[in-house]
Amino acid sequence: MGQKMELACIIDDDKIYVNLVRKIIEIKKLSENLLIFKNGLEALDYFKIILTNMTEEKLPDIIFLDLNMPVMDGWEFLGEFIKIKNQFDKKITLYVVSSSIDPRDLERAKSFNLVTDYLIKPIELKKFEKIFDRVASVA
Amino acid sequence: MLNDLQLNNILEDFDIAYWKINLLTKEITWSDHFEALVGTPPAEESLFEHFINNVLHKDYRYDYRVAFENLTLGSENLNQEIRLKLKNDKFRWFECRNLKRKDSNNIETAVLLFVNIHQSKRDQYTIEENFFYYRETAEMTTTGGWYIDITTKSIYWDDVTKKILDCPKDFNPDYDKRLQFYASEHQEQANSIFEKCENYGIPFKTELKMVTLYGREFWVQATGKPVYNEEQQIIGIRGVLQNIDENKSNELNLQNSLDIIAAQNSRLFNFAHVVSHNLRSHSSNLSLVVQLLNEAKNSQDKIDLIENVEDISVNLDAAISRLNDMVSHQNLLKKERTLVSFKQSLDIVISSVSSLINRESAKIISEFKALKEISYIPEYLESILLNLITNAIRYKQPGRVPVIFIQTYSVNDQNFMEISDNGIGIDLDQYGDKMFGMYKTFHSNPDAKGIGLFITKNQVETMGGSISVTSTVNIGTTFKIKF
Repeated sequence: MGQKMELACIIDDDKIYVNLVRKIIEIKKLSENLLIFKNGLEALDYFKIILTNMTEEKLPDIIFLDLNMPVMDGWEFLGEFIKIKNQFDKKITLYVVSSSIDPRDLERAKSFNLVTDYLIKPIELKKFEKIFDRVASVA
Repeated sequence: MLNDLQLNNILEDFDIAYWKINLLTKEITWSDHFEALVGTPPAEESLFEHFINNVLHKDYRYDYRVAFENLTLGSENLNQEIRLKLKNDKFRWFECRNLKRKDSNNIETAVLLFVNIHQSKRDQYTIEENFFYYRETAEMTTTGGWYIDITTKSIYWDDVTKKILDCPKDFNPDYDKRLQFYASEHQEQANSIFEKCENYGIPFKTELKMVTLYGREFWVQATGKPVYNEEQQIIGIRGVLQNIDENKSNELNLQNSLDIIAAQNSRLFNFAHVVSHNLRSHSSNLSLVVQLLNEAKNSQDKIDLIENVEDISVNLDAAISRLNDMVSHQNLLKKERTLVSFKQSLDIVISSVSSLINRESAKIISEFKALKEISYIPEYLESILLNLITNAIRYKQPGRVPVIFIQTYSVNDQNFMEISDNGIGIDLDQYGDKMFGMYKTFHSNPDAKGIGLFITKNQVETMGGSISVTSTVNIGTTFKIKF
């Protein structure tokens, strides 16, 4: 395993899932810190605050974005995030993570340039490690 | 008087065959041409008997024999249309009549002419046959013919057209009132196609809704073409109109069924998607727990993970019971419509959520005077009212007493219900298209399950209606149901 990632981000309303991913990250020592938002709007607000304060060190290296969430779902978040993303200097890798196996969702996710891949839940531990490893070595 | 030779030449020249009959001796002589047509008779038989038995078609034997005897007895006239078998064994039509005697001389001789009328006879049959087929086709396909005489501003309808339009056979259509036979929404279209045909000679073939004399509306296919005179001026419009009401209403019903099936199919797809998504999210959590259990180093870690399994089990249970709810709502579909009173339905709903209403001191005002009842499935109406009322209270404006105004009315035989609230409202530009989707919640309200409006829309549409929404943030929301 290579170097450890600074900051990972999960946007998901499923508390159990978030808890389990947090455990995986702790056990496997995949990231120093973890940001958790329970819907798209909370995450978007956070990124907007960072933009106004110019504190880029608080930007995550990687985002795991769920699709079905209340208030602002993953699609709407993508639509908003795309508008502000270019104002960050830092490269942010974004994965869509959903339990939906609907091919229409898959197609739609892949149509966004900023989406690196579409991951279907459950993600295997080894896959998690691989993704973190790759992103950390690039960063 | 022409002598025999002269007569013979003329008769031969005009391709006419004849008999000469000696009225005294009853002796018959065939002209050469007649013999050429039917063949040489055998010498041993009487010419007349041979003709009757072998040349004349059997259908005419009796009548001909009688007429011939009358002629020989001095009758003035013999005139029959008969069929003769020619040398080539084919029957042909002939007109057989006697040559009128101009004077009383020579009365001992009669002349019978045989004129070939086969072609005209066949033409006549063809015309009769065609006319028969035309009539039958017109009757069977209920296709009527019509003609508009532009020069005299008059209209001619055939019997089938009159029948199609419920008009008596002696009905005379009035040119100035011709548009009254078209449905009001199609009069402009009808007028325009007739004018185009009259002024520019543009033919038409179109589907229109017409109205009979008694006001019954039905669909026709109307076809029309201009009629020109020798100077190439348009003097009239001729065409047919066919009653296609059955086809058209079948077509519309089919389209309607298709729409319903497509809508149901899309709902089923959505439902399957939701089911898959919901069950998968729990099973994937379970799978994560198992993976972590394998990695767990000590028993405390394992105990922590087992707690997660309990949570997953509770969530899975809740998801399944929500899906059950949805399925049981769909099953109500089998119930039948009855006349439902809005007031009674509302009372049932209010009493079932009285604790929520009392807790929030919500005010519910109803106005059912314009439309008191409706033919509907009672459980659906109650479910619709319940969902919209609890929604209105759930999304009230903080600090404001929730007021819900429910009104029913009808416009042009179309029934409506409006349910308005003074709640927090919703930004329709942002969420409008998702309002009625499954599992869409727009507020971080922990009570929100996201299936209420989906079910409401489903029920309204299943009953053949539609639901729409208008809303202003911080002012309130109005749902309008078209039954």
